[in-house]
Amino acid sequence: MTLSDLELERYSRQLVLPEWSGAAQARLRTANALVVGVGALGSPVATYLAAAGVGTVGLVDSGTVELSNLHRQPLHFTPDLDKPKTATAALKLRVLNPEVQVEEYNAHLSEENADAVVAGASIVVDCSDSFETRYLVNDACCAQGVPLVSGAVLGFGGQVMTIVPGRSACYRCAFETPPPRGSVPSCRDAGVLGAMAGVVGSVQALEALKLLAGVGRPLLDRILHIDGLTMEQTLVATERRDGCPACARVPAAPQSV
Amino acid sequence: MTALDLTGVPCPMNWVRARLALEELAAGERLDVLLDHGEPLRSVPESAREDGHEVTLDGNRVTIVKR
Repeated sequence: MTLSDLELERYSRQLVLPEWSGAAQARLRTANALVVGVGALGSPVATYLAAAGVGTVGLVDSGTVELSNLHRQPLHFTPDLDKPKTATAALKLRVLNPEVQVEEYNAHLSEENADAVVAGASIVVDCSDSFETRYLVNDACCAQGVPLVSGAVLGFGGQVMTIVPGRSACYRCAFETPPPRGSVPSCRDAGVLGAMAGVVGSVQALEALKLLAGVGRPLLDRILHIDGLTMEQTLVATERRDGCPACARVPAAPQSV
Repeated sequence: MTALDLTGVPCPMNWVRARLALEELAAGERLDVLLDHGEPLRSVPESAREDGHEVTLDGNRVTIVKR
């Protein structure tokens, strides 16, 4: 597979990276990345994946753009208010990089559709904002052997882990059960600064690009914690759990990642 | 004493408004807020306590004494 002159120019600054290559770029072009949630994390993730030349970027979100979203979701602009997030994000991404195929799934990910939506993805990036969806995405990815980059942001705290089903700990191995429902979140828990979400989303995008291109060392069996107030970063080791209902019986992924 | 009627104002905007009102007060001064039942009455007093303020409830009237 050869890259056109325009592609060479568009991607020149990553193609000159010693770790990158034309082959790596070609792998991105044939890849299909699914971004679950097109909000604070999904905005930077989808932007960087599309800009870097991932061939197909799928967007899953059932929400519409609200005024209180705009401080942290830079794919959505003020004239986009009340429009579906998948549509307003897709519009920007197509303008950013017309070489990329953007697919819109204006739907809430549920037990009924998760397997079908994940099917065919080369990688999934979980940018959702609920534990329910995180476990759902994890389980669907494990069942189909699709690599997953899971991320979360709360206040000034962020967390990212990368999962290759059958090879590294999955989200359920690391976090066996969701936090108890009784623990009522208070209003101050809804707080987040856009730039902090941008940090976490950028880490997720970097992890996805590394996995797709086959370069570097992803966050497998390691959970990255970032404290935006102090800029302290911590790597916490994790491992596959015997009898994990999501990934224990998954055969090792065929990818050479 | 300052009073705020936050009935009809959903989370987290009710807490945003209460918090900005608290910022205008001196330590020990009191803010009374009226809240809707349900999530607002569960969440706003908890947020105020987490910020270190003294909170008492009387029906849907919440009294917050600034830390």
